[in-house]
Amino acid sequence: MTGRGADGISPADAAVAGGQVTGEVLTGDTLAGAAREAPGEHDASRADTRTKDNRAWFLVLPVVVSVAFTAVIPLMTVVNFSVQDIFSPTDRIFVGLDWFRDVARDPEVRAAFLRTLLFSAQVLLLEIPLGVALAVSMPRRGPWASAALVVVALPLLIPWNVVGTIWQIFARGDIGLGGWAVNTIPGVDFNYTLDSTDAWITVLLMDVWHWTPLVALLAYAGLRSIPDPYFQAAQIDGASGWATFRHIQLPRLRGVLTIAILLRFMDSFMIYTEPFVVTGGGPGNATSFLSILLSKIAVGQFDLGPAGAFSLLYFLIVQIVSYVFFTVLTRTGR
Amino acid sequence: MLEWMVWTPPTAAVFAGLALLLAGMAVWARLSPPVARRGFLRIETDRGDRLYIGLISAAAVLTGWIAVTDLSMWLALACALLVALVIGIWG
Amino acid sequence: MARAAGPPAAATGRRPPAVAATARRQLPWARTVFWLYAATLMLPLLWMFGMSIRPNEDILGGFSLIPQRVTFDNYQTFFTDSVWYSSYLNSIVYTSMNAVMSLVVALPAAYAFSRFRFAGDKHLFFWLLTNRMAPPAVFLLPFFQIYQSVGLFDTHLGVAVAHMLFNVPLAVWILEGFMSGIPREIDETAAIDGYSLPRFFIRIFLPMIRSAIGVTAFFCFMFSWVELLIARTITSVNAKPIAATMTRTVSAAGVDWGLLAAAGVLTIIPGAVVIWFVRNYIAKGFALGRV
Repeated sequence: MTGRGADGISPADAAVAGGQVTGEVLTGDTLAGAAREAPGEHDASRADTRTKDNRAWFLVLPVVVSVAFTAVIPLMTVVNFSVQDIFSPTDRIFVGLDWFRDVARDPEVRAAFLRTLLFSAQVLLLEIPLGVALAVSMPRRGPWASAALVVVALPLLIPWNVVGTIWQIFARGDIGLGGWAVNTIPGVDFNYTLDSTDAWITVLLMDVWHWTPLVALLAYAGLRSIPDPYFQAAQIDGASGWATFRHIQLPRLRGVLTIAILLRFMDSFMIYTEPFVVTGGGPGNATSFLSILLSKIAVGQFDLGPAGAFSLLYFLIVQIVSYVFFTVLTRTGR
Repeated sequence: MLEWMVWTPPTAAVFAGLALLLAGMAVWARLSPPVARRGFLRIETDRGDRLYIGLISAAAVLTGWIAVTDLSMWLALACALLVALVIGIWG
Repeated sequence: MARAAGPPAAATGRRPPAVAATARRQLPWARTVFWLYAATLMLPLLWMFGMSIRPNEDILGGFSLIPQRVTFDNYQTFFTDSVWYSSYLNSIVYTSMNAVMSLVVALPAAYAFSRFRFAGDKHLFFWLLTNRMAPPAVFLLPFFQIYQSVGLFDTHLGVAVAHMLFNVPLAVWILEGFMSGIPREIDETAAIDGYSLPRFFIRIFLPMIRSAIGVTAFFCFMFSWVELLIARTITSVNAKPIAATMTRTVSAAGVDWGLLAAAGVLTIIPGAVVIWFVRNYIAKGFALGRV
């Protein structure tokens, strides 16, 4: 993680390095044990030595004010929307929790919720192993290391709507290389604008194309932080490539992979731009995720009440996941 | 100016209550600084953390209730408060 | 400072000593698999570029791997049609404003979070995170209302302020990550030397973390550049972003694929230009400074 506690050489590292110095040959068991018992890297338990000073509030005041204007006031307004039937600012009726009941029981909303969950699950299942595999096979030194980094990172820096555009073109059967190849070589009739399975696959593939690099870069950063004595010890043991990966690299990736999983979950859970550009939520409702449905209700139909209730329920889920994320980031090791 | 915020008395009361709660927590923290400890949630929490977890869990209870049953929301509110209380004391 | 300026090896505290290449032996075939993947990764991109240099009749006329006729008409259209180039400029204007505003607000706050303990600091830090994580769709309706009522609707400033919603928390988190890597002894030494806090911050601290500031500015710029939903909702004509223009290319004659592809290529350029300089920080930026 950050400078917080990441600097110290953990006791386990020191033990391995020490074993190296004294020429003691580590057995496979002790080696794996050392790798498993290396909690030091993501340990936030270092005593908090920051000065206690409440005047620091003056430094954070601008942030509080700006975020209050862009987040708190809108959120209060959403709460107000959610309990009223609004025809105009002066002509409105208090309806209590009716909108919440409507939205929570709306089959379309429930379907979108399940669809979004399924999408997030598939994204994680595909991207995490692929990203780790990619990071392990990336060249780590030499002139090619930087080139590989740039190539892998490129999709991340492409604007999301352009990612949509790229795949909109690429996956088309008539003008796109991808769609054309699928239609011609195996002879499958692939058309993402008409077939809902094809649309789903296109959006999923697009997300894998777009975001696997993030998992790869995070895992790559994790791999680079593994001290060399680990590898030397593995070499002395005559460990195979796979054993080195399984017992040395993978355990040390736990911290970065937790971050990767949470980030990918959050981002895929609120995905909007890419599927909107490619499929617009269609065909039918096949790729209508929560954000797409919500913005349809909010901006398309301008239903203030249901959109407000929907927003709050959505926001509640985000709060819960963010809290898990935050707890993992700041408290692991305690 | 503030007309577009379409305030109603109940939501205003809820936000005023939240503001009071925060102010109360701040005063309490001044009187006796919070101590972090570990309860049945298995993570180290101080009183502010437990308040937050409690409120979020209460909201989750209310949401689940409204999505599933037609029973009175007052009953749901009682359950939610109970959950928040349990987390606040033993969490 | 080396911590902030160096590559990831330095960011984790120490540089690995030179060891025999075999010590970091990789799984067999790793390189081949990797470069195959990289090639696959580039295919859709190259395909879009190929589309952008073909005339529309060729695109729709029949499938061909290699462009039959190469033309730059699509790019010419982009730069002569005011709807296109002005929305491109709009995007640049509000993203730049947003990056500057977010940084100015976030720098002191990040310093406070990394150096001081104060009442509610943890909770404030978490609250910032929830705003970064919140789906923009949640804020759509009130934004529409607020910006109309305060007269910021369809202005560059309006979009820049709206994007502070997620960029200020992002900037605070990233900068805090970098700043926590700088030893506190520097602050103490400067205080003993008689530097006041503002003077120390501007004269010593900011120059020390300038690469971190550059990286943060880049990420603010990027997240604002790629955001579509909010920017589209609170603009109509004068501040319309390029992303919104790109989603409305369907005309009576169908989609203008060549022009759309050309716009896509041009929109990638800001990211492609700086990618070499930020390559070691991309993971850190996306992970909110936590890697």
